Amino acid sequence: MQGLELISFEIISSVGMARSCFIEAMRKAREGLFEEAQSLIKEGEGYFIEGHRAHTRLIQFEASGEPLVLTILLTHAQDQLMSAEGFKIIAEEFIHTYQKMN
Amino acid sequence: MKSIILLCSAGMSTSLLVSKMQKEAKERNLELHIEAYGTSMVDEASKVADVILLGPQVRFQLQDIKKRVSVPVEAINMRDYGMMNGKAVLDQALQLMGDL
Repeated sequence: MQGLELISFEIISSVGMARSCFIEAMRKAREGLFEEAQSLIKEGEGYFIEGHRAHTRLIQFEASGEPLVLTILLTHAQDQLMSAEGFKIIAEEFIHTYQKMN
Repeated sequence: MKSIILLCSAGMSTSLLVSKMQKEAKERNLELHIEAYGTSMVDEASKVADVILLGPQVRFQLQDIKKRVSVPVEAINMRDYGMMNGKAVLDQALQLMGDL
């Protein structure tokens, strides 16, 4: 597998895990399990950072003058990254809301 | 022929993993049907699958899907997914079907 393809998958896999954690966190909070919800947010943040690092490598790659071929896969990876980032904000808001309701 | 179904949100990124697994199965002379579906097609998947594996982006649906289907369901290891390790994921599927 080529470098760019591998980095794309690294991003998809890491931020995909992060997004899953953030969604699971909301579900735990819905059940009133706030400690578990918080630890899922933390776990998700760890995965997100891994994905973010891979993404940074891409930016450095491009900045160094290497031609970066834009593929559907890479677009998908960036889309997943953005989705995970958004879900984190939403999950934290939901946890706060559920805590207030509790 | 046994069927391995991989689920992710749209069945897109997972299709490359499917081709890696198919290549690995061919090398081992295994007759297997391996396909990627989106999670919206879980009912269709459960009709044909002997085992279902979930991509990291839909891992949060693991418990729901387990309740809906009668075949073994597991999440794919994040590292194996990220490295597109067809060999490891094929091993995971075979193990779940009791063929390894």
